[in-house]
Amino acid sequence: MKTNNDVADVLIIGAGASGGVAAKHLAEEGFKVVVLEQGDWINQSDLPGLRPEYELLGSKAWHPNPNIRGNDTDYPIDLSESVAQVGMFNGVGGSTILYASCWCRAKPSDFRVRTLDGVADDWPISYEELVPYYEAVERDLGVSGAAGNPAYPAGYNPPLPAHPINGVGRKMAEGLNKLGWHWWPGYNSIPSQAHRRQKQCDRLGICMYGCPHGIKSSADVALFPDALAHGAKLITRARVAEITLNEKGLANGAVYIQEGQQYFQPAKVVIVGANGIGTPRLLLMSKSNRFPDGLANSSGLVGKRFMTHPFGTSVGLYEDDLGDFLGPAGEAIESMQFYETDASRGFVRGSKWHIIPAAARPLGMINRWTKGEGTADEEFWGEQFTSRMKDSIGHMIEWMVMPDDLPEETNYVTLDPVLTDSDGLPAAKVRYVTGENTRRLVDFNLERSLEAHAAAGATKAWVTSRNNPSWHNMGTCKMGDDPATSVVNGYGQAHDVPNLYVIDGSLFVTATGVNPTATICALAKRTATYIAKNARNQEVGA
Amino acid sequence: MSTPLQLEFRLSQAQRDRLAVFADLLISGGAGLPAATEVDVAGAWIDRALGARPDLVETVVGVLAEEGEPAEVLARLRAQEPERFDAFAFIVAGAYLIHPRVRKLLGYPGGAPEPSPAFPDEADAYLEDGILDVVIERGPTYRPTPQTA
Repeated sequence: MKTNNDVADVLIIGAGASGGVAAKHLAEEGFKVVVLEQGDWINQSDLPGLRPEYELLGSKAWHPNPNIRGNDTDYPIDLSESVAQVGMFNGVGGSTILYASCWCRAKPSDFRVRTLDGVADDWPISYEELVPYYEAVERDLGVSGAAGNPAYPAGYNPPLPAHPINGVGRKMAEGLNKLGWHWWPGYNSIPSQAHRRQKQCDRLGICMYGCPHGIKSSADVALFPDALAHGAKLITRARVAEITLNEKGLANGAVYIQEGQQYFQPAKVVIVGANGIGTPRLLLMSKSNRFPDGLANSSGLVGKRFMTHPFGTSVGLYEDDLGDFLGPAGEAIESMQFYETDASRGFVRGSKWHIIPAAARPLGMINRWTKGEGTADEEFWGEQFTSRMKDSIGHMIEWMVMPDDLPEETNYVTLDPVLTDSDGLPAAKVRYVTGENTRRLVDFNLERSLEAHAAAGATKAWVTSRNNPSWHNMGTCKMGDDPATSVVNGYGQAHDVPNLYVIDGSLFVTATGVNPTATICALAKRTATYIAKNARNQEVGA
Repeated sequence: MSTPLQLEFRLSQAQRDRLAVFADLLISGGAGLPAATEVDVAGAWIDRALGARPDLVETVVGVLAEEGEPAEVLARLRAQEPERFDAFAFIVAGAYLIHPRVRKLLGYPGGAPEPSPAFPDEADAYLEDGILDVVIERGPTYRPTPQTA
């Protein structure tokens, strides 16, 4: 094994959203930062979005599910016991390469689920404590949105103005107003105006296939250039096999594999931001005499409580030409009408809905029709194909219903006993069954979404899915104050290893009913700030 | 338009002739749109689609090799091997939907996604009649916590 000579002040494992936030902050604060990333930099000209066949490429080579994509920089995931498909992207930028850039803060009630609803657990921090960090990362990531949303406490004022809600947003807003239901222009981590290094969004509408113009605020575009400019060192194709400990039980670095060669990167502090599947996988791989069940796992909760957002979708057809070829693909509008708990509905917690342009995925029309509820039995092929497409393209509005998902220890990430990655390291195995509360929540909200379509004037509306893969991986290194019932504290600091931090979606105590990137980034910013401020008192491993 | 992704494998003319029959059964045309063969789905466009999804070559070749009339083969696949039918129909539809004439007829602004940055006041134009006012006037809807109460 070769040892890198430079001891990092901070070693960050994973160059995704959370790793980018932490690397930027700590490098700018003068720390010697090393980042290890198992994937490569993405050449924007390699992204499929400017090709006519972008949707075909997105169904394989650029698919969010690593089992389908199958790159050697990915690791396989055994999903034989999961009803949910999962995904992530492994490369500089992580899953932000393929995210749609929905930028959704969690709401105050998300952090107090036990107090308010008597289920799951409260988070160890509050919305109010996280607000300054949301604001900071919203500036870094060029978040665009409208101020004054009554679904949030006063003061939520994104740094850039909202994108146009476009024809689809306008049409649905009129329907929601008839019902007296909440809606708001969408929030997107895509600049609506030129911002820092990024140009104004040019609305290609294919954000989830990667932005070939480098405008979307993926971590490789919006965060890592700053980190590198301040001296951070980013090592790609470096797959971490183990986080190591010194004789005192402090993390002192990581062993990684690059082109078959093992290296050791020593570090004073180690941060893991490898997503809600990769992080527990790495901790579980990092066994030692001190931690025979996996690093920082005295609680037994590393990998447990896996949550995702098995979201529902519904579509409506409209006579008007809605011109929904325009991006961004994140959110045109959103609705929080059914976000907060109403016990009379037969479940707790709720859902954010949002609209994205359906026309950007014409091949997606196949499943919308042939797998849809009430349309699956209608003929789609043959003479019907062209009329179905003509009726749909530019005339369809699609709701995405993002459900809160509550933690259950029977849903978990573990190491697969057989499957390995290309370096021979154990693959991850996910076990996930959708909880009854989540199922009821999705069903209720989908019914309401059909009412919204009717109010907006849809000539036909139907549910297209009740279990879409969200690619949101959460909950597997729960944060909390009690070391017996959590893996890390409110700063992401491992209870068992005081110089080991977790900063990704693993931290989530509950899933929240919104896309998680905003909260992941805010938590990472808070942890990085804590590390920088408390460096003098920090126990170090190397 | 971007350079097609290259696929070393090539269908024979006999395979293309048979694929054309399958493709027209799946996409017969109408509503102002052409049938699959009218836009050469079994020619250059299936090549281009398979260039993006080379993993589906085996599916296409396998379906074409199924014995029987194409209509019967498709019916049998739908009934007995729906995943295989879906994969075959998906790549045929993919070849059709990337054709620039089809995209134009469906209303797409270009052969591939094209830039269309918003005008400076475009966002306001959708809201200028006060459509958002009623939402604001209803007041806060978030649920108070001990911290916010």
